[in-house]
Amino acid sequence: MTFAKILGRVAIAGALWSLACSGCSAPPSDGRYAQTSLPDAVTFSPVATLLVVRCGSLECHGTVARNLRLYGSAGLRWSPTDRPLVPACDTSAEVAQDYESVLGLEPEALSAVVASHASSPDALTMVRKARGVEAHKGGQIWTAGDESDTCLVSWLAGAANANACASGLAAVLPGGSSNPLVRCVSQP
Amino acid sequence: MSPTTFTAAHVAELVALAALASVAACDPVRADAINALGPEAPGVRRGPLHRPGQPCLYCHDGALGDPQRFTIAGTVFETPSATFAAAGVVVSLVDAKGSAIDLRTNAAGNFYTTPGQYDPTFPIQATIQAGSQVVRMQTLIEGNGTVEPNGACATCHFDPAGPSSPGHVSMALDDGGTPP
Repeated sequence: MTFAKILGRVAIAGALWSLACSGCSAPPSDGRYAQTSLPDAVTFSPVATLLVVRCGSLECHGTVARNLRLYGSAGLRWSPTDRPLVPACDTSAEVAQDYESVLGLEPEALSAVVASHASSPDALTMVRKARGVEAHKGGQIWTAGDESDTCLVSWLAGAANANACASGLAAVLPGGSSNPLVRCVSQP
Repeated sequence: MSPTTFTAAHVAELVALAALASVAACDPVRADAINALGPEAPGVRRGPLHRPGQPCLYCHDGALGDPQRFTIAGTVFETPSATFAAAGVVVSLVDAKGSAIDLRTNAAGNFYTTPGQYDPTFPIQATIQAGSQVVRMQTLIEGNGTVEPNGACATCHFDPAGPSSPGHVSMALDDGGTPP
């Protein structure tokens, strides 16, 4: 074996060792981030219902394995005694859990988007994935500017547009506006 | 490449690639899920009447050596609390592009469709009908599962019913009412 080959192997071993070490390192203790701007919790309920219906079915984000974990009537229930669609509307505990799920995805980016009143909502991965401009296993869910997108972006901008949320739900659910889940939003 | 240059090293490379391909094709998650289903029920042969209520597409996925691929498949039972088959139920499916199909459950309550019959674009809306009784699924079938492909109703509709499952698909509630 030549000296050059030995040198090459040492370099590879060193690179692998560095990679292994960096993978085990913990973030610095002062690296915590406190969110400076939180989206509105009061008007989040219709947004939560929309997210659960469009994203949180039992085979998608309505499973505990997903990092955006969603609870609600149309999918995974929070209470062990509840069943999908029984009770028909999302519970306050589920809405609270969904709020925490969304907050925890990208805290820094979310704070920036909320502080700017959603001037650039596509800074958020969840917005880009739903719009289909970033790779998403579930594909494109809605289009920028349609009712569902407006529901989410309006919430990020300050207060959710409940009518847009209801329209977004009615556009996709069987029975349209007569669907029980739409009635949960339009007649809370 | 001419035959005269085909050396033992090339053969070894091909063997290694074949071994890699076979390992890649082996999905332990799917294998565990299939093993958990257990054996065939006594007296029931493999065919249209077997394994009612189980997630058909675990096996009917079109993989090499597996049975025929289904795009959508499931079972309809009479009520939530019992597993009596609901035969002759019409299962109506409409996909995201408006493509529709009506299927009919067999004596085991099973229904299924192949890619040649119906290759839908998810999400799908589903309705089941027996006589004048109509049950409309209130949510959409998105087709994304931990074990894919996922046009199998039983992937979500499994027993017992709980926070993560509505229970098996049924035509009526135990009191005769219509499921939500």
